[in-house]
Amino acid sequence: MDMLQFPANIAAAAGVNFAAIMPEVILSVIAMALLLVNVFINSEQKAYLGYLSLIGIVVTFFSVVSGWGAPQSGFNNSVLQDNFSLFFKGTFLVSAFLTILITDQYLKREECNWGEIYPLILFATVGMMLMASGTDLMTIFLGLEVLSVSLYVLAGFNRANLKSNEAGLKYFLLGAFSTGFLLYGMALIYGSTGTTRVAAIASYISQNGMVLSNPMLVAGMLLMAVGFSFKIAAAPFHMWTPDVYEGAPTPMTAFMSVGPKAAGFAAFLRVFIVALPAMKADWSELLWVLAVLTMTVGNITALKQTNIKRMLAYSSIAHAGYVLVGFTAGNAVGTAGVLFYMLSYAFMNIGAFAIIVLVGRKGEENNNVSDYAGFGFKHPVLGMCMSIFLFSLAGIPPAAGFIGKFYLFSGAIQAGYVWLAIIGVLNSAASVYYYLRVMVFMYMKDPTEEFDWLAVSPSLALCLLLSVAGVLIPGIVPGTLLDLAQKAILM
Amino acid sequence: MFENVWLIPLFPLIGFLINGFFGKKIKNEAVIGGIGTLMIFLSFLVSCGVLMQLIGLPAEQRVFEKVVFPWIHCGNFKADMAFLIDPLSAVMIMVVTGVGSLIHLYSIGYMHGEEGFYRFFAYLNLFCMSMLLLVLGSNMLVMFIGWEGVGLCSYLLIGYYFEKKSAGDAAKKAFVMNRVGDFGFLIGLFTLYWWFGSNHNIWTINFVEIKAASHLLPYGGVVTIATLCFFLGATGKSAQLPLYTWLPDAMEGPTPVSALIHAATMVTAGVYMIGRMSFVFIKSPETMMVVAVVGACTAIFAATIGTAQNDIKRVLAYSTVSQLGFMFLAMGVGAFGAGIFHLMTHAFFKACLFLGSGSVIHAMHHALHHGHLHDDAQDMRNMGGLKKYMPITFLTFLVSTIAIAGIPGFSGFFSKDEILWQAFANPYHGGLNIVLWGIGCIAAMFTAFYMFRLVFMTFFGECRINPKVKDHLHESPLVITIPLMVLGFLAVVGGYIGMPKLMGMLPNYFEHWLDPVFELANEYGKEYAHVGHHTHALEWGLMGLSVVIAVIGITIAFTMYMANNKLPEKFTSTFPALHRAVYNKWYMDELYDFLFVNPCKGFGNLLWKGFDVVVVDGIVNGVGKIFMGLSAGIRGLQTGYTHNYALGMTLGAVVIVALYIFR
Amino acid sequence: METIFFTIVAAVTVLSGIMVVTCRNPINSALSLILTFFCIATLYVTLDAPFMAAVQVLVYAGAIMVLIVFVIMLLNIRSEVGRRYTHAGIIGTVVGFLMLVLTFNFLNNSSLTGAKGLITTDVINKIGHTELIARSMFTDFLLPFEITSILLLVAIIGAVILSKKKI
Repeated sequence: MDMLQFPANIAAAAGVNFAAIMPEVILSVIAMALLLVNVFINSEQKAYLGYLSLIGIVVTFFSVVSGWGAPQSGFNNSVLQDNFSLFFKGTFLVSAFLTILITDQYLKREECNWGEIYPLILFATVGMMLMASGTDLMTIFLGLEVLSVSLYVLAGFNRANLKSNEAGLKYFLLGAFSTGFLLYGMALIYGSTGTTRVAAIASYISQNGMVLSNPMLVAGMLLMAVGFSFKIAAAPFHMWTPDVYEGAPTPMTAFMSVGPKAAGFAAFLRVFIVALPAMKADWSELLWVLAVLTMTVGNITALKQTNIKRMLAYSSIAHAGYVLVGFTAGNAVGTAGVLFYMLSYAFMNIGAFAIIVLVGRKGEENNNVSDYAGFGFKHPVLGMCMSIFLFSLAGIPPAAGFIGKFYLFSGAIQAGYVWLAIIGVLNSAASVYYYLRVMVFMYMKDPTEEFDWLAVSPSLALCLLLSVAGVLIPGIVPGTLLDLAQKAILM
Repeated sequence: MFENVWLIPLFPLIGFLINGFFGKKIKNEAVIGGIGTLMIFLSFLVSCGVLMQLIGLPAEQRVFEKVVFPWIHCGNFKADMAFLIDPLSAVMIMVVTGVGSLIHLYSIGYMHGEEGFYRFFAYLNLFCMSMLLLVLGSNMLVMFIGWEGVGLCSYLLIGYYFEKKSAGDAAKKAFVMNRVGDFGFLIGLFTLYWWFGSNHNIWTINFVEIKAASHLLPYGGVVTIATLCFFLGATGKSAQLPLYTWLPDAMEGPTPVSALIHAATMVTAGVYMIGRMSFVFIKSPETMMVVAVVGACTAIFAATIGTAQNDIKRVLAYSTVSQLGFMFLAMGVGAFGAGIFHLMTHAFFKACLFLGSGSVIHAMHHALHHGHLHDDAQDMRNMGGLKKYMPITFLTFLVSTIAIAGIPGFSGFFSKDEILWQAFANPYHGGLNIVLWGIGCIAAMFTAFYMFRLVFMTFFGECRINPKVKDHLHESPLVITIPLMVLGFLAVVGGYIGMPKLMGMLPNYFEHWLDPVFELANEYGKEYAHVGHHTHALEWGLMGLSVVIAVIGITIAFTMYMANNKLPEKFTSTFPALHRAVYNKWYMDELYDFLFVNPCKGFGNLLWKGFDVVVVDGIVNGVGKIFMGLSAGIRGLQTGYTHNYALGMTLGAVVIVALYIFR
Repeated sequence: METIFFTIVAAVTVLSGIMVVTCRNPINSALSLILTFFCIATLYVTLDAPFMAAVQVLVYAGAIMVLIVFVIMLLNIRSEVGRRYTHAGIIGTVVGFLMLVLTFNFLNNSSLTGAKGLITTDVINKIGHTELIARSMFTDFLLPFEITSILLLVAIIGAVILSKKKI
């Protein structure tokens, strides 16, 4: 392009292609519309905002489905809506959908029933989508910021609760801090390659081999890895996780543990596999260490937790570790495993959090493991749901968690990382202890409570139903989903 | 019938779903128990059909793989939900569904009136389904699902009486030990998968494909690692040294569970798995030796402990561990057919023994309950003389005891003798063979001793139960005694299909039947076998010797627990002249006790209290403690101060960047 | 000449940056921050980016900082008292020192290997900095630009939610 010439058609010069950002556009418009609607309704009617956002998510989901198999690139390669991003978008929408289903009941109980929470969830989802489909470091970064800012607010949403305040503030401070690492890494990558477009970085490196020996590029890669590691809560950048997860309103914890983690992985995968394939030897070494650290720290610390939200926080750290195993492998099987696992993790984790929402009551969250004593008898169906989620988290067949883990680890084996797979299996064996402890309390202790305050709202029941289906069906007949995941990998 | 093999695990699944979801509403015990029993019986009928069709085929065509649905396909890796029918799995499904049906039937009577009756049958059906998946799975992944499933059901059923703390603890112990084993199984699976994939680009976990490619496997080396990992899995599931302590504790569960899961089926999964992969195991002489030694040691170790127990179910539990040791000994010396044979006969007589003990406990419990007594219904010191009150239970129990003791003409004799002979004669371990054989013989003697001690203490002699409630002792109902009679019958005749060739009356049908499965393993074994020749005379001689050993064991038990108790009084009154002799004999016994039995008992007690409780549990708990300590340490880093977290992140980043810049 | 100028400005930037975090009185911190922003604006000028410099002064040093100072004064935030976390300070110093070593090493060995863009000093002088920024913002970086609007919207909602007295 000749810089001296003013572009005749700005839209053409900008490469505007709405098909490439259709889901994002739909969801943002709906979110803004909800903000307006929110002004005109009273506090009893806030649940309607939830229903409207559910409809919006379903509509967006259809646009995601219709885009399958037809990659759309737009805005001068700022975004690329390919199968990879569509699969992740589906995952985000699922997690947003399930989260909204459990939000209403919680908000009413905690008396913080403000309608803004729904647009914020939708905006966070838009941010995640941009992270997944962004093919420009700028797009990815801004998507991450949209996501993060929404999450800071969501974490501190329960204003009257000190712990929620603390969670929001902590997340904000540390998130801003980690953004510094990410941005610095991006700047260094820009400095060493002269572009922020993901594909252009790769082609520049492959044409100019000497770039590879530039420490600036290596440092850029490492700092980006640090930034993304914070987002996916990989050790040693995980320390914010338990505090924030514990303090945040429970439905938001569910959301945070699933969606943003998946988004972090989406961007992480995109940048490292598409932009930096030439450095695969370097980054897979780093990821190996991160994976081992993350799995081990997460699982070992979870062993001694008595607060179930904190326990699930550490468990989510450990799960990031398992997914990193598939990422480290970097081959078709491992990457497909990452996609599959993130989706099934959305179902099992939000399902477990739905039960946690149910067991709590106003002013008393009942988050201690011992609060679950006898829960399995008092409410057999809910107890069974919880057991299914816990089994899936522990990776016991026939739940989806098992298939996912099997996939991740066999990807590692095919790539020759046998030790990594063994450490992974060891870790998942150890993790059974703390998941099972909850079940021991649920089924093998005398009830101390009557659990008579439990009221399952229809939307919460729907969430549980969907989650159970989402855990069991891919666990028993994973063929279709694995097929989709394999079609969605970046190679 | 082959095409319909998927029905076999499906029926119990249906039963599980019906009882699990609607059992609470059905309430009627007859309906719940009927559904549970009917479902497994239907599986049994289908299994019979499969077996018939298999028999109809020529020996070399007896392999069939039924893909139910495609499961995980990924690049060059494929794992289908598929079932494998061959002579080995046919034997297993017959045992599981056959013994399973009887035990379901028995449970209707035994569990009568229990709270959570539906839950029990739901779990039991779920267990049967998992076990059938385990034995039918045509690849390691399906097998693994069954493997985990049976572990889970075992856990649920051990903790059935969850209100008892000991039951919950036992359940947890079982689960943890099984997980250690599962870990080994998965590592073995991965190792084999990785080796085939990276060296020969065969990415498979299918048994048929692995068998076809097994000639590529080297002797020792990676095969040793993989098979040792698999064997670790087997020790967990089959309660072998050092992971056996969960099994005696598992007796906290209801007795039918002990019979089905912890005697007849689940605990034999390890043996089955080695049989299924015999062609891999045999390629590693080291692993074979480890298997044989662990098996032999477990056999004698558990048998000695069995002599020191007074709880009727604990004796049987240690006996099970010991018998499983025999099976592993068989596997380890390459006598795969004999091992599976013993698995089958053991399923018959041990299930019968457990159910018989259940019948006794049931009666005792009933009687004690009547008298509002709180004596232990399972303690043999409270029993005695029960044969008068419970003739059917006594008879079936006696028959099974004779079978397990190894008296000719009963099933246990054929299988155990086959194992001992092959331990002596098989050519794989050189000089070690005779040691293994010797250990096996001594263990056999202990077996005869403690089993007859059990019979004498329970059914013979004076009735030591509180006289107040004696009148309430009576035989169990038909629904309990019918399974006992069927199993007792099988315990007698079950062995004849595998009669040694030597006896010449019948060909060894059983071994011929399994030949196609183990042929390849025997072929591979020749590579390092030291073939020696043994005469028929030697075989006859050893057979005689094992009978003599069994008789010695029984005699010791008789003199100690029968003669001592009654004879002295009779002798003193009728034959005063002989009094002194008898009296002296008693001294002899004391001496004998002092010299032989007491040290043994002491040793048994020592092993039980010392090794079992301190060392094994200590290690298990110790590992747990280390991790808990680590956990507490890492928790200490979680200060809650934001600036500390930021510092941690920075430190992490600095270390990572430094490692790359300065390397 | 240019190097000397840069060195002086950069040194002041860093020093005032340190002051921002070490001053106990929030007003002093805020004023140090303004100084930092001014220095950065100066650096932009030396990089042939006059528009950036102007915006930096107007938006950051002007509008935002005035707001911050007002808020501090209105809320009457006192200077920080109480203990400081000394052990964290020591570890922080060590980490900081390591960072310095790393940076030094890094600067010694790295070079700008990236592709040189089309916007050279000549082009800037010919067309003008402002127009070039606008062009690139509305062509190559149109999408990020639009996403920023959503980001700001979310930030506003967040501020309202978290701080408004009665929602």
